[in-house]
Amino acid sequence: MRVFLRPLRLLCPLLALTLLASAADVAAGVPGNALQHQVDTLIESALPDFAKHASPLCSDAEFLRRVTLDLTATIPSSAATRRFLADTTASAIKRARLIDRLLASPAYARRMQYLLDWILMERRTSENVRSAAWQAYLRQAAVENRPWDQLAHEILVEGGGGDSNTRPRARFYLDREFDLTVVTRDVGRIFLGKDLECAQCHNHPVVDAYLQRHYYGLKAFLDRSYVFTDPKSKKKSLGEKAEGDVTFTSAFDDTKGKTSPRILDLAEIIDPDGSNKQYVTKPGKSAGGVPRYSRRRQLGIAVTAEQNRAFRLNIANRLWAAMMGRGLVEPLDLAHAANPPSHPELLGLLGDQLHDHGYDMKWFLGQLARTRTYQRSSLTRDASAQIALKHFGVGLLKPLSPEQYAWAAMEATGLLASTRSAARKKLEADAAKAAKPATKPATKPDTQPATKPGGSNNVASTISAAALETAVDEVVAVHIKAFVTQFAAEGGQKTSFSATAPQALFLVNGTLIRDWLKPTTSNLTGRLSKLDDQPAIAEELYIGILNRPPTPAEQAEVIGYLAATTDRSAAITELTWALLLSAEFRFNH
Amino acid sequence: MQRDHGCHRIDHALSRRGFLASGALAGVASLSSPAVATELRKKQKRVLQVYLQGGVSQLESWDPKPGTRYGGPFRAIPTSVPGMHISELLPHSAQRMHLMSIVRGINLKTNSHHDGRLFMEMGRRSGQFPYVGSVAAKYLMPENSPLPGYLHVTTRGLTDLTNAFLDARYGQLKLAGPQVPANLIRPKTVTADAARRSRTLLTRLNTRFSGRGGQQSFTDSYNASFEMAEKLMARRDLFEGEPAGKDLDRYGRHPFGRNCLLARTLLENGGTVVKVTHHGYDTHAENFNFHLEQLGEFDKTFCMLLDDLHDSGMLESTLVMIYSEFGRTPKINVRYGRDHWGTAWSIALGGQGITPGAIIGATNKQGTEVSEREVDGGHLFHTYLQALGIDSTAYHTLDGRTVPIGDPARQPIQELLA
Repeated sequence: MRVFLRPLRLLCPLLALTLLASAADVAAGVPGNALQHQVDTLIESALPDFAKHASPLCSDAEFLRRVTLDLTATIPSSAATRRFLADTTASAIKRARLIDRLLASPAYARRMQYLLDWILMERRTSENVRSAAWQAYLRQAAVENRPWDQLAHEILVEGGGGDSNTRPRARFYLDREFDLTVVTRDVGRIFLGKDLECAQCHNHPVVDAYLQRHYYGLKAFLDRSYVFTDPKSKKKSLGEKAEGDVTFTSAFDDTKGKTSPRILDLAEIIDPDGSNKQYVTKPGKSAGGVPRYSRRRQLGIAVTAEQNRAFRLNIANRLWAAMMGRGLVEPLDLAHAANPPSHPELLGLLGDQLHDHGYDMKWFLGQLARTRTYQRSSLTRDASAQIALKHFGVGLLKPLSPEQYAWAAMEATGLLASTRSAARKKLEADAAKAAKPATKPATKPDTQPATKPGGSNNVASTISAAALETAVDEVVAVHIKAFVTQFAAEGGQKTSFSATAPQALFLVNGTLIRDWLKPTTSNLTGRLSKLDDQPAIAEELYIGILNRPPTPAEQAEVIGYLAATTDRSAAITELTWALLLSAEFRFNH
Repeated sequence: MQRDHGCHRIDHALSRRGFLASGALAGVASLSSPAVATELRKKQKRVLQVYLQGGVSQLESWDPKPGTRYGGPFRAIPTSVPGMHISELLPHSAQRMHLMSIVRGINLKTNSHHDGRLFMEMGRRSGQFPYVGSVAAKYLMPENSPLPGYLHVTTRGLTDLTNAFLDARYGQLKLAGPQVPANLIRPKTVTADAARRSRTLLTRLNTRFSGRGGQQSFTDSYNASFEMAEKLMARRDLFEGEPAGKDLDRYGRHPFGRNCLLARTLLENGGTVVKVTHHGYDTHAENFNFHLEQLGEFDKTFCMLLDDLHDSGMLESTLVMIYSEFGRTPKINVRYGRDHWGTAWSIALGGQGITPGAIIGATNKQGTEVSEREVDGGHLFHTYLQALGIDSTAYHTLDGRTVPIGDPARQPIQELLA
């Protein structure tokens, strides 16, 4: 087991900047938020007349919806929206507090589970490793805020799948069938931000920076590994040999090369003397090989090593893209000299800071969320739209991921409120049952945890927010799946968006959403039909679905809609439907 | 062996122009001359794609090598084109090869399903490029097309971003088979009036939000998806009712037969690009038994569809493509299977713009290498589009910048173009 040392790294260049930390940070009790200011300075100084083209900061309502989706994969509830908008604390301070609250909530782990799955698996279907186990693995990693380098190391080194305890993490390798071409390429793409596929047959003809030896250097870490199928269980896992070298021939000029494992232009990693053909377990028919010296282990070490800058730049770019809607390098897997980052100094800074903070993704996302860059409105100044778009001077539209879409729709329609309350009741009932034997005399009172006082009427307080969210996850899994089936497209985050007719049919005619619109005692249409005051209906509609109050024109539109029909209940359902299907709901904006 | 210098991906094409660094792939593409597009539309050209998913064996279909080391058990039979032989597994096709041509020298340099498919569809190895079906839909689809432009009848598969940076109207619409598509029918609880009223409201809401974030293409795509859905809802009749017994007898009562009948209906009713996928060619084991079965189904059914297009006069304006993501290895493995093989394999083309009865390219005696006229997905992409009269050397325009429609380092197979 590799020990991850986290030496305290002093951030000397940043000391000066901490002096600039805003009053909001100080008030919110968050020290050392210097990164956010550096980000803004670098973004805003990259274009001489940035201020002229850039959009102003977004409204509190826009920010609330945006950051809740980005950090917790859902929209805020109607009540939370009202609370936030009514809070008279200075905007900067309440935004900073909101960010901290969201990052501390159990839903943050859910969001990271989805995001990491998307980054690592790119919507591949599950073939050999159960998707649910993989998801649970990612969730746990997110709950612990496990550093990215540790996660990468676990997946690359312990992702062989032979050990049942660590089998879930084998999904990265095994659901690519450990096809060497695919796996080599995806290690380059997903962990280094470099798609070296072209360099497989020759030095890259146009991208001077991608060399054939880079591809084969990476492949050399992996090509001793192979898929071993257990003769009895038919279960697949990885075996590894303790011999074999990678050679390659250029398709251009027949020059030959031979390489030991290496990351790009870093030093080759030479096998230790006497390791050739030395096994813990020899490759055989009943067991996969386990070498004394594993090149796959070296991959995990070398990819995450200090000197491999590509690793930190890649993850900084991917997390930036998730928050800002576009990477500093686009496509996310094509970092090279001829396709430089739009803001090179910024990417370097982000990578270094993430590295210096021990690849703490939670901290990093919190920093990004605090920036002015993240908080710009998505409303453009007409003439400046294209310039602002290129320079991060406007909040970009981010299509809701299938998971975000499902959660947001469940929250807006009120399905989630009733699901959560049912789940809480069940947990409380279970806890009450379980608590009874524990109160028998055998247990000494002073060994009781402080949070669990003897009386069963207090079990409610013992239901942790995290346990409740896990229970809710189980109930709504089927709905999430329906949205993923409908809205997931192969591949990672892209700068384009495509909606399809079957998706529209699902939204327009599908029974799932129509069911959520049927009035109940607690859901949105139910709540709305109890309101007599028409402006109040308009407000609850907009707050509940779009997390903002309606404009006067929008309010008039709702009132007019209600006035035009005699069937008030039907009109409320129609209004809810239209807002739920609106483009404003479909995107994080 | 002819070597191919360069592998033509988006990074090549675009880094040359410093394109990627400068912004997102968002926007609307157009032929440089709108007049050309209008002219094409008048002639109502169409595309029929039959995709043999998993990778059909060239040795059991268009490029048999009987009696050689890797030839397998099947014979080659003569066809309606003197001197042209194909596998005995395709007896109906053999009688109609005067309508079709074969490209035998394809080398994709990839053995991956995913990469092979993208190369064959996009004409580039990877990157965000539109599929040939989306490009064809863009230039061929009439203004007031009664159906979405690119329809794909398939029983499986994830959503592909087939239109890439093109307008969402040219994206592929998947149909799961001849049955009424999922969610096509308005729920009983929603009256026609209510549907109309709420749809009008939705349009108003979306108009107000249009272009937010400076990303017009995002909101356009979202709005277009509802328009396509409505077109489909309006032609619900195409999916209702059992096909005539005579047609079922000819095409076959199996799913592929019914899917091809639907393809005919779609083409006859204003479909522009119609793709039918025939699944199950990934024969890592029992290659010969599976091909006997699969191609038996394909051969008869496809030929009935070809006959119907021919008889109705539609064939001359319909480009017909029979293709896969790759072929299969000459080497027969221990399970009597053939594995993935992008190195030397074949497809068949016919109809609009294609010289019929031709054989382009060849493989060596044992079928282990291309020996003559090597081409890849890039050449084929140009060829499909030029057969349709679309200038594949023109450019898509994106926010004032340009992206070549076909890979500039590739050319069409001129000798195959009529």
